[in-house]
Amino acid sequence: MINMLLEKYLDILPKSLWVTTCNSGSCNGCDIEIVATISPRYDIERFGMKLVGTPRHADVLIVTGPVTRYMRDRLLRIYNQMPDPKAVVVVGNCGASGDVFYKSYNLDGPVDNIIPVDVYVHGCPPRPEAIIEGVAKAVLKLESLKQQKKAGEADS
Amino acid sequence: MFGTVYTGFGYWDVTAWIVFFAIASGLTLWLRAQGRDDYKEGTDQDEIYWSGNPVPDDGAEISVPASSAYWGFRKAMEPFYKVLTGMHTGIGTDIVGFYVLTVAFMAVFILL
Repeated sequence: MINMLLEKYLDILPKSLWVTTCNSGSCNGCDIEIVATISPRYDIERFGMKLVGTPRHADVLIVTGPVTRYMRDRLLRIYNQMPDPKAVVVVGNCGASGDVFYKSYNLDGPVDNIIPVDVYVHGCPPRPEAIIEGVAKAVLKLESLKQQKKAGEADS
Repeated sequence: MFGTVYTGFGYWDVTAWIVFFAIASGLTLWLRAQGRDDYKEGTDQDEIYWSGNPVPDDGAEISVPASSAYWGFRKAMEPFYKVLTGMHTGIGTDIVGFYVLTVAFMAVFILL
């Protein structure tokens, strides 16, 4: 009974987007822009999106950096620890293509070599507006995953 | 023995305490049962998050204990802590003595 009520109200007001980040070898430029996105000028937290300290509570994984060899396993583990449905947003040129570090001897990246990526946000670093747009696209992705799950449940 | 104690601010009795405890326990258990159920058991989603590292058998080597973060605080409060640790002798009669004194002290405020 309570679960049915929760389902009903969660359809009307679904859970706010909770985001976790992974710096896979970034220079911190993109991470500073992510912090700017949640700080008062852009304040994305007013829409309910917030950074959480653990992937186990997160819906979206934001990855910065070109994925160094050391970070490969850690990135994969963090991705695997997120509950489904989940989306991955790559912030910055490094994560998208390797950028100036492309073909470097100690890179295993870019990110889509390791985990599936849903949204790419380009820039070095990208502006907070671009990050917000990227996350908004991740919301659409999550909603479509949710609908697929519902349709699958209805069929079975 | 199980009568109601009026403190001037409210009251206390065994029945009220048991009822409150039962309600609070029920609420706590219900809240704890409402965790996310959309993770897959037996996969990494079930594992402890340790900053992306595999969970170590002994975390002492790669973690910073809280005592390290507060060493300055501990140093500044050392005279105070010395008194407190001096009081914790571990002798049974001392512990019972403190218990009796505390109960007597509280009784003076509550019952008088």
